[in-house]
Amino acid sequence: MDLAVNMDAATMSPVALFLQADWVVKFVMLGLLLASIWTWAIIISFSYRLANMRKATRRFEREYERADDMDAFHRMRGDSDIAVARVFSAGVAEWRRSTKNRTVDREGTRERLATSMGAAVASEIDRLSDRLNILATVGSVAPFVGLFGTVWGIMRSFTAIAGEQNSSLAVVAPGIAEALFATAIGLFAAIPAVIAYNRFSHAINRTEARLNRFADGFHTTLSRQLEGGA
Amino acid sequence: MTRAEKIGLGVAAAGHVVLFGLLSVGFLATPNPISLQSKPIDVSLVDEVSLHSTSPNVLEAPAPSLAPDIGAPTDAPPPSLDASADLTPTPPKPQPETASKPAETNKPAPEKAAPKKPEKTKAPAKHETGKRSETKAPAKSQGSDARSESKKPRGSRLGDDFLKGITDSGKGKAETPRAETIGDAVVANLSDAIRRQVQPCANRVPIPGPGANAITTKLRIQMNRDGSLAARPQLRGQSGVNGENQRYARRVAELAMSAFIACAPYRLPDEYYEGGWEDIILNYKLPG
Repeated sequence: MDLAVNMDAATMSPVALFLQADWVVKFVMLGLLLASIWTWAIIISFSYRLANMRKATRRFEREYERADDMDAFHRMRGDSDIAVARVFSAGVAEWRRSTKNRTVDREGTRERLATSMGAAVASEIDRLSDRLNILATVGSVAPFVGLFGTVWGIMRSFTAIAGEQNSSLAVVAPGIAEALFATAIGLFAAIPAVIAYNRFSHAINRTEARLNRFADGFHTTLSRQLEGGA
Repeated sequence: MTRAEKIGLGVAAAGHVVLFGLLSVGFLATPNPISLQSKPIDVSLVDEVSLHSTSPNVLEAPAPSLAPDIGAPTDAPPPSLDASADLTPTPPKPQPETASKPAETNKPAPEKAAPKKPEKTKAPAKHETGKRSETKAPAKSQGSDARSESKKPRGSRLGDDFLKGITDSGKGKAETPRAETIGDAVVANLSDAIRRQVQPCANRVPIPGPGANAITTKLRIQMNRDGSLAARPQLRGQSGVNGENQRYARRVAELAMSAFIACAPYRLPDEYYEGGWEDIILNYKLPG
């Protein structure tokens, strides 16, 4: 393979296509390239976090099922930096606040427990899905931005044709190639973004359902405790 | 930005750099299809400029008819009878055989008087007529054997001097007039040569509209000897203008003139300059 950087316009060298482009098209290309980099950064970091969280959640739930003393378990694992631990901590904190007094309003305590743990789940999901809107934006807007660059570049090509009064294909082709390169980058950024957005939305829904199941189970345990304690 | 996001950003940036680097060094580049094909060769469909005149030279004497007119073939009389009757060696006055000279009467500078002399004529201008009469004169003035011999030619025999009029004639003028040297065919070839050299410039000319290349523009081109234009091309009329392309007619004429101006100087055979391409009128159509 020839490893020389080919600056010929007839090849598909991105550097050559970028350098020949108009400044508007250059700006579009640079923006789309940054969007692509940012998209992939989000994809990589989110996949990493999701895998970590799934593993930690499974371990936490297993330990929670084995634990007999909730207070001891909370002391041991309550400050873990995972979503399910924070939901657990929110429930425990609300439990302690509600059962601090001698008279315990059982219905009110159940409602408050459900509300606080639901809020904790919602805030965890919010934190998790923070970057997903960027993926959605890139996935829907990048093709249009690339198309804008293409239209601009083709307009410029036709202006060049009018200026040179020469309509041969050799005059038109490089400009159109570099213009189409903008759309190519736009699609290059948009396609992974759309795929990742759909997959991550699904993963977040599953995570939310899992957290809700855990919260419901903990709420059941605390509610039983409330009746036993009273 | 969390640690996972920093890692993701770094990995993504590195991946993009690697990908675009690979594309830049031709990782996925398609082989250039043009280089795989055979090299194109130039094919010219127009005629060459002829280097020789094809028009007849009216100054040159027409070739004389080959066989001298010597009358109908007769049977040879018995030599004894002829010798006894005419033994006296009286050289008869040589008669100029005007009948044997073919159509030389319309020469520019004929000397009719020269064949009258029996001796060798040293006429400097036209000496082939003199020579002919001189060679004929001794043949008649010889003795009876020669005379009888000359009296019985066969019909197919040619004279010894039948090529005289062809080989050394027509050297009278150093310069031939233009109208004769550069004939219509040459001018047509010159027009073709000029059109061929205009073609690259005309190809760059935008066609003003549909039907514009149906208009034939007649242009007068005046050139210097070095091939440059001596004057701006002049419009000498247009044909092929119809209702469809009427509005382009003026534009077509301007484009044709500008093409001729843009492609000057022209390389044309030098010997056809005077009377040829120094001032030429040619019809031109825009390509397309």
